[in-house]
Amino acid sequence: MSAILNIKVKILSGKEVVPNIYLMRLKAPEITQDALSGQFIHIKCSKDNYPLLRRPFSIHRIDKEKGEIFILFQVVGEGTKLLAQRVVGDDLDIMGPIGNGFNIYPESRKIMIVGGGIGVAPLLALCEESIRQGKEVRVLISALKKELVIGEESFRNLGAKVDVATDDGSYQHKGLVTDLLEGSIREGWLANQIFACGPKSMLKKIVEISLDAHIDCQVSLEERMACGIGACLGCVCKIKTKDKKEDKVKYEFKKVCEDGPIFGGSEVVWDD
Amino acid sequence: MIDKTCLKVEIAGIKLKNPVMTASGTFGYGQEYVPFVDLNRLGAMILKGITLKPKMGNPPPRIIETPSGMLNAIGLQNVGVEMLIREKLPYLQKFNTPVIINISGDTIEEYVELAERLGEVSKEMGVTGLEVNISCPNVKKRGMVWGTDAKATYEIINSIRKTTSLPLIVKLTPNVTNIKTIAQAAEEAGADALSLINTLVGMTVDIDSRKPKLANISGGLSGPAVKPVALWLVWQVFQTVNIPVIGIGGIIKVEDALEFIIAGARAIEIGTANFVNPRVTIEIIEGIEKYLIENNIKDINELVGSMKI
Repeated sequence: MSAILNIKVKILSGKEVVPNIYLMRLKAPEITQDALSGQFIHIKCSKDNYPLLRRPFSIHRIDKEKGEIFILFQVVGEGTKLLAQRVVGDDLDIMGPIGNGFNIYPESRKIMIVGGGIGVAPLLALCEESIRQGKEVRVLISALKKELVIGEESFRNLGAKVDVATDDGSYQHKGLVTDLLEGSIREGWLANQIFACGPKSMLKKIVEISLDAHIDCQVSLEERMACGIGACLGCVCKIKTKDKKEDKVKYEFKKVCEDGPIFGGSEVVWDD
Repeated sequence: MIDKTCLKVEIAGIKLKNPVMTASGTFGYGQEYVPFVDLNRLGAMILKGITLKPKMGNPPPRIIETPSGMLNAIGLQNVGVEMLIREKLPYLQKFNTPVIINISGDTIEEYVELAERLGEVSKEMGVTGLEVNISCPNVKKRGMVWGTDAKATYEIINSIRKTTSLPLIVKLTPNVTNIKTIAQAAEEAGADALSLINTLVGMTVDIDSRKPKLANISGGLSGPAVKPVALWLVWQVFQTVNIPVIGIGGIIKVEDALEFIIAGARAIEIGTANFVNPRVTIEIIEGIEKYLIENNIKDINELVGSMKI
């Protein structure tokens, strides 16, 4: 893994792509050189120290040629609100690239990518990389309603087949994205790997489906984070330990920032 | 104007290049910050708090941001003293910065055993001193209890003192009615220096779920929000004891560090700010030097406790 940098980068563009969700493009050749899909950057959203802590954002797209990275984020609190207000030409204090990234196996031929809501953020870079490696890629995305569907065109433009589920049925399938996943498996489209990012309840269900179908599954997790470099131990999640002597599931706390944010789906202990 | 100044201070018999140390739990085991900080430039490094056996820590969420601060309830997750000795300390050998180990336990016996073990390997592994955590608010058993009672403070520090000749820094909690009596008890029991403050106990509530935002319910408040409390307590303790005081609490820029020094801190520890700006320690060292030169102060020790009232 490459060293984590702390640098100032220029905001090249920023726009609200769907209500309350923003796409921001940053000039960061130092980061694009080594960045992997699934990694994230840790951004100081404010110019002063309020809010205090950095906020982690998945890398949405990596443009190595132009030395640019994209982030896609939803405004959910004070940090993201300030970030959305930053203007083109502003310097942004970032740390990155951070984390392990998705692991696309060389032998995989078919890749299934599943994103729920803003969970699509790290998946576009993954889709691009998978297609670059010559994989056949299908993408399933979900949103509350039609106006909030993110990235459908971007995934399609890369050459992936895209299906959408909306909670209210205002666009394509009415229901859960996991219905689409089960449907595709029933129809016999069996991926070699499933990659997913989104709400925990969705990820839990996807892992169950992948286990039933004997498909390898990787999920991108998030947790409240402070340092982003493995020092504070704030951003932990429960990961099963290898020792299976006892019947009871044993687990340990792993850091989302350093050990993740990508984990094998079957390793994660999902709390109810 | 002078063109050179002296930043050297001595704490608990440990000679520091400058008064800037890293606060336990905010700087990992040192190595995590190597991409950002030349560890050789630090006054001292205090590593993540260690216990005799590895500790799993509390379930997440472990941290929540609060106005100008954060609450944490990590629960002392750590690798245990043996792994610290085997896997973490060897890496730090190549740096010439003093390494201070922050120790915690559930019983006096555990503290004593830890101090003994670290004493055994101190020369070989470069352990320069111990910071005794009698003030962690996030562990179920004794944790903070030692540090909230003068008798218990005396008892535990005295037991550790009898065990080790390593310099002892005692880290005090602000969650007490009278910090002076605790500080005196630690001094009488043989502490070589006092560091303060550990975090203030706090809580936040999610109004939608009506659940506490931290899985542990309560956590320790740190960051700029606690600085005035910390300054007041440092000043109180500085007036009470004859051993050096190390100031901790919300230091994020050089002015904060200078406030603590003027209020009586011979050294300072930087904590939460490391999470925001990984280079903050170096920036503060440079800032202190600049302030001293600009104010014609030849030796930082002249500034310690120089508050005019």
